[in-house]
Amino acid sequence: MTLLPGRGITASLIAFLVVGAACSTGGGTSGAPLPGCNSGTKQALFWTSHTPPDTDSEKHIVDAFNKQSTTTCVKMVAVPGSETDIAKLTTAVRGGTGPDVYELDRFTVAERAAAGVLEDLTPFGAPALASNYLDFAWKEALFKGKPYALPDDTDARVLYYNKDMLTAAGVDVSQLDISKGAPTVDMIRTMATKLNKKVNGKYTVVGFDPRLNQGWHYTWGFAYGGSFFDAASCKVTPDDPKIVQAFKTMFWDWAGQLGVNDLQTFESTYAPDTPPLPTEQDAFLTGHLGFVVSGDWVLGWLSKYAPNLHYGITYIPVPKQGDTPATWAGGWSVVIPKGAKNSQGGWEFMKYFAGEQGQRVYTQETQHMPTWKSLLTDTSLFPGDHKLFVQQLAVAHSRPALPVGALYWDQLTIAQSSSEHHSKDPAAALKDVATTVNAKLQPFCPIAT
Amino acid sequence: MIAAPRFRLSADDRRNLRTALPFIAPWIVGFFAFTLYPIVYSLYLSFTHYSGFGDATPAGFENYQHMVSDSLFWQSLGNTLYYTALAVPVGVVVAIVLALMMNQNVREVAIYRAAFYVPSILPLFALTFIFIVLLNPGFGLVDYVLGLVGLPAVNWLGDARWTKISIVLLAQLGAGGPALIFLASLRAVPAELYEAARLEGAGPLRRFYKITLPLITPVILFDLIYGTILGVQIFTPAYVLAGGTSGGGAYTTGPENSLLFYVFYLYKSAFQYSDMGYAAALAWVLFVISVVLSFAILRWSRQWVHYEGA
Repeated sequence: MTLLPGRGITASLIAFLVVGAACSTGGGTSGAPLPGCNSGTKQALFWTSHTPPDTDSEKHIVDAFNKQSTTTCVKMVAVPGSETDIAKLTTAVRGGTGPDVYELDRFTVAERAAAGVLEDLTPFGAPALASNYLDFAWKEALFKGKPYALPDDTDARVLYYNKDMLTAAGVDVSQLDISKGAPTVDMIRTMATKLNKKVNGKYTVVGFDPRLNQGWHYTWGFAYGGSFFDAASCKVTPDDPKIVQAFKTMFWDWAGQLGVNDLQTFESTYAPDTPPLPTEQDAFLTGHLGFVVSGDWVLGWLSKYAPNLHYGITYIPVPKQGDTPATWAGGWSVVIPKGAKNSQGGWEFMKYFAGEQGQRVYTQETQHMPTWKSLLTDTSLFPGDHKLFVQQLAVAHSRPALPVGALYWDQLTIAQSSSEHHSKDPAAALKDVATTVNAKLQPFCPIAT
Repeated sequence: MIAAPRFRLSADDRRNLRTALPFIAPWIVGFFAFTLYPIVYSLYLSFTHYSGFGDATPAGFENYQHMVSDSLFWQSLGNTLYYTALAVPVGVVVAIVLALMMNQNVREVAIYRAAFYVPSILPLFALTFIFIVLLNPGFGLVDYVLGLVGLPAVNWLGDARWTKISIVLLAQLGAGGPALIFLASLRAVPAELYEAARLEGAGPLRRFYKITLPLITPVILFDLIYGTILGVQIFTPAYVLAGGTSGGGAYTTGPENSLLFYVFYLYKSAFQYSDMGYAAALAWVLFVISVVLSFAILRWSRQWVHYEGA
């Protein structure tokens, strides 16, 4: 039997319609208001790659915004992504199904703006808000002098230490009191060595693992007084002798002394990256680390999961007695991706989320710090040790906001890895970083932030 | 000399074609829109600088020239070829052994077949997470078993010397798929050959090497080529193991970049460094490498593949 051609055409048309209908769904941001939204509001989609407990707080902010907004109803969606991996955002924006607001690691704003993923916020009136924000945070939100983001939080890094473990090892912890200034690297190394403990040839306690948690290339580079970027020549400078020295001492020597493979076995057991352990099993909280470089968010973990742990906080160690202590501050921001269907609604939400009201809630609930300057003077927001972090902001460095920020980070991480494994001399490894990153940076020069 | 018959459609054929075309039109349109167009477009992009947004700017052969001096390109290529050279032969052997086990004449064989096959249909993403726990140097089962037999513990995922071997081991959990194909080829071997060999006094090993192996060489060839094409595209386990991130994980691509596989680097170039032009050029070079390797294996196979009746 032969089918009539007409039937085949009808079948094909139906197939096309089905495929077309399937392809056309998912992009809309309008529709009936969500529960908790006011009637007559238009939906705006907000994507975040954060995870709990931070997203719990973000949801509270979204709910509070929706309650008071008569124009916009925000729908928050947690999506896959990370500090530098925005594959989900890129493909969605390219496909016309992106969100109206996206939470982006601030040090990559210039990079994403240069790539054309973000909307310039000048037409929305963002420049008028500049004076409300911490200067370094605002500068990170700029590309070629124009704002592409609103900074929504910041942080700072310090050295945490476990008083009980150190006292048990015969260390006088009063030497570490923050009032005595920054400890030296040698001093911490001497103390930490007393805590190292192996069972069956494997570390169960490591006094100090300088590369763990926030022990990054940037952390030690700044601690040694290094500079990562020279604005005058528009070149990255990872081969600054001070950064080379930091790599040599903290990665080459220290990891070598502990045994990098033994250290990795320890990390895989007590502090794995993938999959990460639940926060309550964090190596510092469970007494497997004597010292750790980390940020203000650990205060929340300590009060929630280890309320009986006797800890102290001091500056990140410096190379020599009397050196000026250093730390660095990072943080996130909110942006409007290209092609946003409700960019005006998104902007209204951004102003709230990264404004005084949103940041107040986020600071209270997550122990991060605000970038909204007036909040930093509200002492009720920084109980206990949190105020020490606020003091750090005055002297904190920040990563250079470059259109090749993610590449620079990755290259520094590669150099760090080869230094730890003694597969390449730190000076040579960092020279390679400079060569690779500067080649990619030059087309964007000069950079006016 | 006989002239090739001319290809002519009868009236019936033409009518049938007219009827059939609308039915297959969705596939044809899909092929052109979602396969052919992206292929051609990626070739065009490989000669441009393009972030994925805005306009692509012509770059001539710059992206291809950059590869020559790009140490990460060479490292990722080396990692990938190392992995492929190890994973593909091991995979063939494991699949053949599994197929032989599935081919045993025992009552519960259906249960065994299902058990061997099930891991290959699990999502690779989930399998990788299970593997991470099994390989943990502190509390993982694998190191525990090694310890029981007096062998030293291995830091499978933290030691650059072992990371790729870990992924080779992980890949073997997917051997159930090719094993089914080998099983079909084993069952196609004529039973009378085995009977004749047995009468001549050949033992099981001799029967395997002299009868089974030569007769399944066409399937071995298929598996080698298929495995090689998939091998050079290895991505998911490395992405999961390394955290696939920057700024969060300790290493972005495994210790000492040992898990920076070619497609992982391509992905990072495209979606983390917004360099779609370079990523497209990487993709085309990988295509050429796959074609060259496939032809090399095909040519080599003339020496050892036995086609029955050929």
